[in-house]
Amino acid sequence: MLRLPVVSRALSGVAHTKGYGAAAGNVRTAATTASNLVEVFVDGKPVLVEPGTTVLQACEKVGVQIPRFCYHERLSVAGNCRMCLVEIEKAPKVLNINSVGKSTHWLLWLAVMVLEDLNPVPVAACAMPVMKGWNILTNSEKTKKAREGVMEFLLANHPLDCPICDQGGECDLQDQSMMFGSDRSRFTEGKRAVEDKNIGPLIKTIMTRCIQCTRCIRFASEIAGVDDLGTTGRGNEMQVGTYVEKMFMSELSGNVIDICPVGALTSKPYAFTARPWETRKTESIDVLDAVGSNIVVSTRGGEVMRILPRLNEDVNEEWISDKTRFAYDGLKRQRLTQPMVKDISGQLVPTSWEDVLTRVAGALQGAQGKDVAAIVGGLVDAEALIALKDLLNQLNSDNLCTEEVFPMAGAGTDLRSNYLLNTRISGIEEADLLLLVGTNPRYEAPLFSARVRKSWLHNDLQVALVGRKVDLSYTYEHLGESAQVLQEIVAGTHPFCKNLAQAKHPVVVLGSACLQRDDGAAVHSLVSTIAQNVRVTSGVQDSWKVLNVLHRVASQVAALDLGYKAGVEAIRNNPPKVLFLLGADGGCVTRQDLPKNSLIIYQGHHGDIGAPMADIILPGAAYTEKCGTYVNTEGRAQQTRVAVTSPGMAREDWKIIRAISELAGITLPYDTLDEVRNRLAEVAPNLVRYDDVEEANYFKQANELSKAVNQTLLSEPLVPPQLTVRDFYMTDPISRASQTMAKCVKAVTEGAQAVEEPSIC
Amino acid sequence: AFGLARFPQQCARGRGPASSSASSCLDRQTDISDSSLLVKKTKFGPLSDQDRIFTNLYGRHDWSLKGALSRGDWYKTKEILLKGADWILNEIKISGLRGRGGAGFPTGMKWSFMNKPNDGRPKYLVVNADEGEPGTCKDREIMRHDPHKLVEGCLVAGRAMGARAAYIYIRGEFYNESSNLQVAVNEAYTAGLIGRNACGSGYDFDVFVMRGAGAYICGEETALIESIEGKQGKPRLKPPFPADIGVFGCPTTVANVETVAVAPTICRRSGLWFASFGRERNSGTKLFNISGHVNNPCTVEEEMSILLKDLIERHAGGVRGGWDNLLGVIPGGSSTPVIPKSVCDDVMMDFDALIEAETALGTAAIIVMDKSTDIIRAIARLVEFYKHESCGQCTPCREGVDWMSKMMWQFVQGDAQYSEIDMIWEISKQIEGHTICALGDGAAWPVQGLIRHFRPVMESRLGQFQKEKNQQTTT
Amino acid sequence: MASAAATRGTSAAVKVVKPIFSRDLDEAKRRVRELYRAWYREVPNTVALFQLDISVRQGRDKVREMFNKNKHVTDPRVIDMLVIKGKMELQETINVWKQKTHIMRYFHETETPRPTDFLSKFYAGHDP
Repeated sequence: MLRLPVVSRALSGVAHTKGYGAAAGNVRTAATTASNLVEVFVDGKPVLVEPGTTVLQACEKVGVQIPRFCYHERLSVAGNCRMCLVEIEKAPKVLNINSVGKSTHWLLWLAVMVLEDLNPVPVAACAMPVMKGWNILTNSEKTKKAREGVMEFLLANHPLDCPICDQGGECDLQDQSMMFGSDRSRFTEGKRAVEDKNIGPLIKTIMTRCIQCTRCIRFASEIAGVDDLGTTGRGNEMQVGTYVEKMFMSELSGNVIDICPVGALTSKPYAFTARPWETRKTESIDVLDAVGSNIVVSTRGGEVMRILPRLNEDVNEEWISDKTRFAYDGLKRQRLTQPMVKDISGQLVPTSWEDVLTRVAGALQGAQGKDVAAIVGGLVDAEALIALKDLLNQLNSDNLCTEEVFPMAGAGTDLRSNYLLNTRISGIEEADLLLLVGTNPRYEAPLFSARVRKSWLHNDLQVALVGRKVDLSYTYEHLGESAQVLQEIVAGTHPFCKNLAQAKHPVVVLGSACLQRDDGAAVHSLVSTIAQNVRVTSGVQDSWKVLNVLHRVASQVAALDLGYKAGVEAIRNNPPKVLFLLGADGGCVTRQDLPKNSLIIYQGHHGDIGAPMADIILPGAAYTEKCGTYVNTEGRAQQTRVAVTSPGMAREDWKIIRAISELAGITLPYDTLDEVRNRLAEVAPNLVRYDDVEEANYFKQANELSKAVNQTLLSEPLVPPQLTVRDFYMTDPISRASQTMAKCVKAVTEGAQAVEEPSIC
Repeated sequence: AFGLARFPQQCARGRGPASSSASSCLDRQTDISDSSLLVKKTKFGPLSDQDRIFTNLYGRHDWSLKGALSRGDWYKTKEILLKGADWILNEIKISGLRGRGGAGFPTGMKWSFMNKPNDGRPKYLVVNADEGEPGTCKDREIMRHDPHKLVEGCLVAGRAMGARAAYIYIRGEFYNESSNLQVAVNEAYTAGLIGRNACGSGYDFDVFVMRGAGAYICGEETALIESIEGKQGKPRLKPPFPADIGVFGCPTTVANVETVAVAPTICRRSGLWFASFGRERNSGTKLFNISGHVNNPCTVEEEMSILLKDLIERHAGGVRGGWDNLLGVIPGGSSTPVIPKSVCDDVMMDFDALIEAETALGTAAIIVMDKSTDIIRAIARLVEFYKHESCGQCTPCREGVDWMSKMMWQFVQGDAQYSEIDMIWEISKQIEGHTICALGDGAAWPVQGLIRHFRPVMESRLGQFQKEKNQQTTT
Repeated sequence: MASAAATRGTSAAVKVVKPIFSRDLDEAKRRVRELYRAWYREVPNTVALFQLDISVRQGRDKVREMFNKNKHVTDPRVIDMLVIKGKMELQETINVWKQKTHIMRYFHETETPRPTDFLSKFYAGHDP
């Protein structure tokens, strides 16, 4: 999509061209002109709107829904479906050209007036800005007639396959033809048929159903930033597709399924599995990355059928990444469903909870404080974290680590501002300069990246990157690969310092991948100094945060908030006799790191990397099966809800730990979820203030402390682990168990045709 | 071809034609109030040779710069430019020139839309040379035989609207025309007539010739802009109008070749001279293309408001087989509704008269059909053309025109119900006015014209088919 | 005033209770005895008819137990109501509107009580 120079954009004002138009209206801008509102009427009801509001928006303001297909509030206006045609009744003409001559849009106004007066055609509500005194007739005879006509044309070539269409029940065309269509068909000619396209293993296309609304094309070019989709041919032969046969290569591709108003683009894994009216919807949170996208889990009969996005303007808007959407089939595979114990021959054999809990409790009772340690993985909820911490603390042990490393030198994790995405995801929309360090946000946090793109597109956000060059969906200045560039920026010798000095709302984002290196503390310290310096030079207010850390796993912030140590260094140095792995599937500690007779207990939901090396396995619940608190990279506490019961004998994680504690004779003081959360609130009150972000501060102090860090920088380049789209799909136990994700990897490496199609279609 | 759109009749000023001398008016400032002594003119045409603007319409003379200079092009262009934008605009307004692309929007008003305070963006003139309307062949004559008229017109019109450059978007199929035009542009550059300090006036103006790929829809102004920008030629939504956001996001005026090409002559010979031709609000001279069943198909420059019959008899050698053999005429290019002989007898060829006759002047491309014509088939073929050329962007046009085309071919056979005549009328009404651009209207109007005037023909065709079918089943 | 009147009205209504069947406790007791006898006589038939795996004695003990469960009731109206219900049960049993499982529900003290403490809830299942 064309990124137009700022001058023309600023001047375009209310008017919009194809390309950026209405989407620009969604971007938060600090100043809006509250004055000189325009009065218009919707079916005679007066309403005051800002100049430049479209007819459709004005109607929405008074609660009148105009039918539409091509219009989508987050995409540019195409105005091509013509479903939103409405009749406009003009105000008695007060024609004084001199009085309006000064206004920027006088000629627009004049032209529209001339046009309207002589030829009272209905106007497309989605594209037409309102004029003073207009009376919008949303239900007049003419409006109804226009809608019925358009509806008839749309249905003329639309197949009558609703009974076998996956969109059935949630189809805009179906709903609106019931509301606004005619009750009979006059089309006796043969219907058009269009060849289906193979655009990858996620999206099923039935292109005969397409009504050419171009929403998917606009989504791809505007939001996802890939110009893969487009139209070929013209007239009745116009087709939507990917010009040449290729995969729709985007990490956000699944969203076109949601925005498609008909059944042309549907979900391939979900095909023919369920109907929307027979599924139960549970509002939940995604945990496969650190963004914490809001999702709706659709279930039927104790099985997750699909995952849909849920609106949250502050986090994911209404999009979710493909991993979030399609990795759910991993929840049914490779699951740990029974407690298991290693027998004499070294085989893991299923056993009962009583047996396994007794063994664990016995092992814990027998161990000294320093002989017990725990490592937590990336998908663990805060309730389990606090329970495990309480359990080990009862045993006089504080060897609680996360798999993800975070440098403890300097202020370390003591100051929250050190490890949060302080600017927040929505804050990026106000930024004018973004420095990314050692991260590939496109695959580490696709929705954060989508926000960056939005800001880049509409607010002229300037982006720069230190680290390995990656393919982002926006242009950026590549400052260099190695961390030495950061030193140059701190020293002020790098040419980019000029840009930094001019920034009004700068943002610096440090990828958590950099912190895994041996010089993590030094990198963090440098970035912190850059952020502090640029904050001073920009003269921005205290409420504006500059330093940000972009995490990659969902549990990290909650774990750090609760006082877990980041990194397993301590455990390697002091190998414990009993090691408790809570969903730790990163493979940070192996059996070789531990003494021969040590006992490894693994608690988690997938038999991935952690489980095979364990002596005892405790089956836990996955994120769709428990009420859990997760804190995203911004520090926003959100909760998942129970959508399905966990399979087999698996139990919620905190309950397993609570049960162990009772058998070990150190009963933890909570029996119910509410009590656990009360305990959470005692330790870190922000963890139970759901949907709220607890602000972190003390940047200056953190920076002062970080200056004490004395660590030499490595010369190796800063390389984020997820470089290409291939690395995006399988990053955690759930997505690694997912067949769909495996197909995606295959498709991106070998081409979309490598993945075999289902025979029924 | 496209303007047929939604700007029919609205030159709001009440003003009569004034018979002023054809001499140069460069040395005086004319004003609208000057033209108060008016005599109503009742007879229009024929145009005398000294009043012709396009003096090399038939390519009998040299089309290059030398020939153009000898015909008076580029004469005192510098002085015109130095008079300033307001003077040029005023002349154009006085001349009553209306857009020659079909819509007939008053040119002076349209160009004056560009005179807004400068906001830092350059302004552009885009010349629509994508002449694709079936029956129309006026712009190509200008471009291959008189290209300097167009190049000079670009400069004058560009000056009037303060444009930085002109883009001439020429139809891809016009190979020779674009070649001649490019030669003319190059000549003008070398002679210092355009480019930096054009004609020594201190005004910088560039002209770019850009060839299209041959799509009718690119004759629609916003589709043309999209095409210039390198995108698919699909019309944009209006508002914003091109005068606000046009080519490359800058204020733009799109004007037809003929409109632009007559501007220098109007400036030289005064707007009042131009206004002296034709009826009130329909003034000037105009290129008419006469094709179809006439003895001598031709393109001719004539006075506006000339009688259709006059035009055909005088210049095209009359209808094949005599006037009484006339069936009907499509008066303004394929998108205008057909009119039967009874209307043709005394209709005047100008914007308002044809609107009264429920058709339009369009590009003044007259398609004459005598009684040997299968009128249903003719219209069906036109609708098929529009079906093929629809861009497919918006629903009514994409689906509706295809549907109409299918139905029209059934009417050609007669294989349809009587009620389907009303149905296709209704469908054409569902398309008309509901689309982004005027192509939908242009496709609907021929069908409406057919039903309006030739319904009995259609009905008898249906009856005939039914009868034959019954006979077949009985035997 | 209105509320006071209403209160008075209700208290008056309480005093003059409309009997269901029995005018006094004795009559109610007589009805209970009649029902008990009917059940007592019916038990052998029931055991045979439904092919129950219990002895007649066990059945009669159960009948006695059920009657004893309500022996604290003294309000004749409540007794009448219980008798009506008992009659309905009896009718359903005699006419074999009930099935074997319904009869055996009277003997359901074998049902395990729901777990109450955390650990037994944990062992029992997901979220009892």
